[in-house]
Amino acid sequence: MDFLQNPEFGDRVVTLMAAFVLVLQIAMVGQRSLVMNIRVFAAQSFLLASIAAAIAWYNHAPHIYFAAGMTVIVKAFAVPYLLERLVDRIEIRHEIEPIVNVPVSIVISGGLTLVAYLVGASFYHPEAEPRSLGHNTLAVAISLFLIGFFMMVNRRKALTQVLALLCLENGVFLAAICLTYGMPLIVELGVFFDVLVGVMVLGILVYRIRETFESMDVSKLRRLRG
Amino acid sequence: MDWVRAAFFGGLIAYLAGAAAGVAGYRTPRLARLGTFGCALAGALLEMTAAVMALAQGGAAAWTVPFGVPLLAWTVRLNPLSAYFNLALGILAAAVSIYSFGYVRPMEGRRNVGALGFFYNLLLLGLMAVFTAGDAFFFLVAWEVMAVSAYCLVVFEHEKEETRRAGMMFLIMSHAGTGLLLIAFLLMAQASGSLDFASFHGLASTLPAQEQGLIGVLFFAGFGVKAGIIPIHVWLPAAHPVAPSNISAIMSGIMIKAGIYGMALVFFDFFSAAPVWMGMLVLATGVVSALLGVLYALMEHDLKRLLAYHSIENIGIILMGFGAALVFQTMGHNTLAGLALVAGLYHTLNHAIFKCLLFLGAGSVVHGTGTRNMEEMGGLIRPMPVTALFFLIGAVAISGLPPLNGFVSEWLTYQALLAGFGITPLLTRVVFPITGALLALTAALAAACFVKAFGISFLALPKSEHAAHAHEATPSMLAGMGILAAGCVALGLGAGWFLPVFDPITTQALGVRISPALTAAHGFALAASSAHAGTVSPLGIAGLLAALAVLPALLWLAWGRNGARATGAAWDCGQPGLTAANAYTATGFSKPIRMIFSALYRPRREIQAEYEVSPYYPTAIRFESEIEPTFEKHVYDPFRDGLLRIASRLRTVQAGSIHAYLAYIFVTLIILLLLGVRG
Repeated sequence: MDFLQNPEFGDRVVTLMAAFVLVLQIAMVGQRSLVMNIRVFAAQSFLLASIAAAIAWYNHAPHIYFAAGMTVIVKAFAVPYLLERLVDRIEIRHEIEPIVNVPVSIVISGGLTLVAYLVGASFYHPEAEPRSLGHNTLAVAISLFLIGFFMMVNRRKALTQVLALLCLENGVFLAAICLTYGMPLIVELGVFFDVLVGVMVLGILVYRIRETFESMDVSKLRRLRG
Repeated sequence: MDWVRAAFFGGLIAYLAGAAAGVAGYRTPRLARLGTFGCALAGALLEMTAAVMALAQGGAAAWTVPFGVPLLAWTVRLNPLSAYFNLALGILAAAVSIYSFGYVRPMEGRRNVGALGFFYNLLLLGLMAVFTAGDAFFFLVAWEVMAVSAYCLVVFEHEKEETRRAGMMFLIMSHAGTGLLLIAFLLMAQASGSLDFASFHGLASTLPAQEQGLIGVLFFAGFGVKAGIIPIHVWLPAAHPVAPSNISAIMSGIMIKAGIYGMALVFFDFFSAAPVWMGMLVLATGVVSALLGVLYALMEHDLKRLLAYHSIENIGIILMGFGAALVFQTMGHNTLAGLALVAGLYHTLNHAIFKCLLFLGAGSVVHGTGTRNMEEMGGLIRPMPVTALFFLIGAVAISGLPPLNGFVSEWLTYQALLAGFGITPLLTRVVFPITGALLALTAALAAACFVKAFGISFLALPKSEHAAHAHEATPSMLAGMGILAAGCVALGLGAGWFLPVFDPITTQALGVRISPALTAAHGFALAASSAHAGTVSPLGIAGLLAALAVLPALLWLAWGRNGARATGAAWDCGQPGLTAANAYTATGFSKPIRMIFSALYRPRREIQAEYEVSPYYPTAIRFESEIEPTFEKHVYDPFRDGLLRIASRLRTVQAGSIHAYLAYIFVTLIILLLLGVRG
């Protein structure tokens, strides 16, 4: 069982899981069902927590376990639960209507991944830091960020934009974890609290938008223009 | 105890108390009126005392008032220049406050007197702070207090569309000017490393040539907006007439002088020797403003608007003095520069006094008749004899006729300009006589304009019901005007004794004492400092004029007592029954000038006659005549249209769609990331 102690192996495990995270992200771009989208997000968050746990294990950084645990609780369970309840409450159509159609969206996501690898590579200096864990992970984090942003641009309904924002936040989390091996605990706590409150506030906001405009389509906010 | 300081801060507190009285008396207009204008009067008298004492001491007094906030200490500086402008402000504010007791009274119960008094005190406070600010930060704060309170006073009668438009124009142009000043002050502060005016002294002249030019032009334009120089004057004839008349008097009398104060500060304190072209620019702007100002004034039939255009003219005359002083200073003729500077500064005070007097007179006329249109006045000398006398004194003074104060300062300006011919190199040598000639033309046209303003309004027969039922102004209004009229006479006849006031200012700016060279015969006469220039004695002229009045009486005593006497109506050519329709109109009076300068005015006139039987017997005739508003049409309209076109193009960026905004951010982010990778 010495592979459990081998950092090389740990790096591969983390890279593999990061790849899955990226695949799930692109799956979200392609997925048209809203509920499925939320569940994919939950799965992605769970994988993210696993990456955090693996990094904690192989780098002997016990406080990251806490971050991993929080990720599971907040992002894999609490937030998806809140969002699904919101979907039930406001009784919207469960289909996402993106502005750019699905195949093109996926192609764009691929392009963004390339951009992310390009950017990520510039941070990678193997001769300077031989033990840098997963430059691939940083590239994945950046592509999560970019694709999340793209989803925000591409989706009409406020709820799906909230979801996209959470994916973007996942990217930030991954970047933080793989670059610094975990931020100080207080920062982690702040971030999680932030996400939770953010989702609640956005949930209320979505509800109000729906009440006022009888739709969740943010394109209709145009009417507010003077 | 430092009495200057005590008087200064006492005045400051009085203004603040006046503003507070305006708020407190919101519901009791009588109390608000007495409280606000009473406090303003007290403040004005205290400030005047402080200014006089500071001028008598001659040195620069400066105090720092800490605000408690770091970097925000308020430096007060009462140097001779500040004290001089504060003196002018004090005189005007005192006279206008006295006038306002009577003028504002009919507004009680109909208008918000509390607000008027509040902003009036705030305006005076702002002006005082502008004149005494010792650092750029505090100067700009005071400048804005002045501009915003003036805006609130301009739109006091906000129910009229014209007023709101004028107020908006004033606000926009004023802030554009402040923007230029801000840039200029920041450039200065960057060079000196401090915001203190003391550190700016002579600094601008040590900078590279381009930067000197930039700073000079920025300051000139920024202060020029407030002073109302052409072509950035358009707010002035719009905003001054629509304000209540006591406010117009303050605005036209002293607020536009804040721009002049700023220019004096910049050109004679920040610059030790400005480039020659800058002096020429000031001189040329002065000539253009003076000539066009008076030409537009001639075409006005609105009494207050006419006066507003004359403010532009007089600002031009002041700037001629300043421009000449700048040119002389750079060329090393400090005595001549002193003469020109004294001419400009003296005209500043004189214009403040007679323009304030004229606006108060116009206020009394509007008060008595209810109209600003001169064509509806006429014959006002009978119901309002005292107002007519004071208005006449102001009119004589502004026309530059001896022996009143306008004559003295315009005479000094001529002397400075003509002396420039003898001493300067070729190009400037040609410029000075031309400007002198144009100044003469301006003064002559101004005289024509006031013959029109006084004659059409006060003489002949009443042209409307308003004029026929006019009433004289109240005693407090007459007292306010009387003080200023006395000032016009005193500053004219007593010029020889007043000129030493300028010594500390010229000593500080140019290092010369000029008054000994300017006065002759113990102050009874004035002499220009250069060798072959003239000498004049306003007092002597006044004596001669008085003697001329005695002459007919003597003649009558000698021969007339026993002669035959017939009494009849004047001007009716033996055909009794003159009506107002026989009288000269303002339009008719200015017709020759409109024809001579038609290239400038581009007058348009339209006559429509309606007839039933034959064209020889029209039943109704409609006559319309207007002149082209050149600057509005050829400068401001294209500028505004261009701005709106650009704005409407930019508006498409503001789609109002969240997706579009997100996409902007997204695309920017990607581009920045890629740039970052490449770099």
